[in-house]
Amino acid sequence: MLPSSLTNLLRFPVRQRCRIGKRGRYIMPQSPLRLLQLLQLADSAVPIGAASHSYGLETLTSDGVLDVAGIAGFLVDILDETGRLEGGFCRAAYRLAVTRPGSDPGAFRLSWQRLNERIAAFKPARESRVASATLGRRLLQLAVSLEEHPLLRDALTTATGAVRTEIHHAAAFGLICGALGVEEETAVATFLHQMVAGYISAFQRLLPLGQSQAARLLWSLKPAIEAAASASGNDRDDDEIGAFTPILDWASMRHPTLRTRLFIS
Amino acid sequence: MAVWSPRRVHGVLDLAFSAGPTGTSLRVAEQRPPLQVIRAFRQADGAALVHLHNISGGVLGGDQLALRVSVGPGATAQVTTPGATRLYRSRDAMATAVQETEVVVAEGGLLEYVPDPLIPYAGARYRQETRITLAADAGLFWWETVAPGREAHGEVFAYDDLAMTLDLTSGGRLIAAERVRLQPDVRPLTSSARMGIYRYFSTFYICRAGISGARWLEIEEALREIAEARSSHGVALWGVSTLAADGVVVRALSVRGAEVTAGLTGFWQAAKVLLYGRAAILPRKIY
Repeated sequence: MLPSSLTNLLRFPVRQRCRIGKRGRYIMPQSPLRLLQLLQLADSAVPIGAASHSYGLETLTSDGVLDVAGIAGFLVDILDETGRLEGGFCRAAYRLAVTRPGSDPGAFRLSWQRLNERIAAFKPARESRVASATLGRRLLQLAVSLEEHPLLRDALTTATGAVRTEIHHAAAFGLICGALGVEEETAVATFLHQMVAGYISAFQRLLPLGQSQAARLLWSLKPAIEAAASASGNDRDDDEIGAFTPILDWASMRHPTLRTRLFIS
Repeated sequence: MAVWSPRRVHGVLDLAFSAGPTGTSLRVAEQRPPLQVIRAFRQADGAALVHLHNISGGVLGGDQLALRVSVGPGATAQVTTPGATRLYRSRDAMATAVQETEVVVAEGGLLEYVPDPLIPYAGARYRQETRITLAADAGLFWWETVAPGREAHGEVFAYDDLAMTLDLTSGGRLIAAERVRLQPDVRPLTSSARMGIYRYFSTFYICRAGISGARWLEIEEALREIAEARSSHGVALWGVSTLAADGVVVRALSVRGAEVTAGLTGFWQAAKVLLYGRAAILPRKIY
């Protein structure tokens, strides 16, 4: 038998359970249950393999481009670029779940496929692109195994159907949060928080960065995370969101050539 | 604030390349200054080479420029510039200069777009929007290099606003997209997350629709060897990666422009052999 929160979730379309806030965002009252679900999905222990990826950071540290002293500034700027872009993708998937185009499953699948293709097109480095697609598919598979939700199951079929579409991490996270009824701004900020926490965790394994130092770093970055999440929804036209991180792109492209690698990407 | 643009021009260049029994020919469907082509040169492999001229000497504040390139079935075109594209300072009240480029390569066609770098002057505001569509078996060599400015004048990242968008579609699928917004005063380009110590950046798309993903991985590996050989910290960094489908992208960061030009040409020559089994013919100008 389904829990009552989920029964309510399925009984009423999401649009009827939330109010519209500034800039057309959906604002929902956040229940403790939703918060707990969100905490689990964003936890570094969620079994999707996130800890195996550095997205090029291993190259930057291996080649001496980045050291401990440079991490904070680097992450602030990454949030301003990649954070805004990934936050925008997460938000787009969230809204796809909330507004779910009509009753036509084909319309949803097409929008979902297009969104994920768009995300892939913005990732020039193969290893980082594959990492995002691997984590996204695993996260959605996990969510489907945890919650019976038709939208999530429908979204997962695009990864296994005749036309196999990659499912990217930001999209999967946003879609799941939208389907669960997590508040939009919280969902986007949480996605970026787990992204930065993942980067810091990678730095801990690559550089002499201690646990307390890492904790202080992540704490200090929370305003930047919030700002990036907010900025991801500020663009008048979603089509304008982009990022300029050529050095990180290069690092991810060079990663396959490193002689000793701790990470897959 | 009202946009004042007394010198605004609406330049248009519409080029159509088509295959014929003796090679590719050019038809200029529309040509409106300051954009201009003089003529097409026939290359040894039958391709048509054209140089894109801007008779203003560069892009002026408020300019609205449109370039359309259509490469017909089986045609081969090479498009370059006679020199660097200068992006001049924009006066405060002037509209941002805009260059829109629309490219369509039909089945079996090939476009080699190999221009000289963009040089944004101090105070320049410029927006470039590029859309490229590839049909089945269409090929593309497309690079773009952005200089930091007029270095000899001491201008490094002194421009106001440089926006560059690109959508590259193959077989109906978006395979590469860029939305770059460079405002050096707002977001320092010298950040370790952006360009670090490097001043030039370049992107080179190498595509041929319909080639398998496995083959692209082999091409990536072959080109990566060149990238490794050319990369040197503090001088230039080169990276290569397969795209989501139908191509690879080469990225470069360099302290000096000379390394970028030489490197791009090296990748072009290697990739042309890998994809077409013949050598790239460099355009008629001095490298």
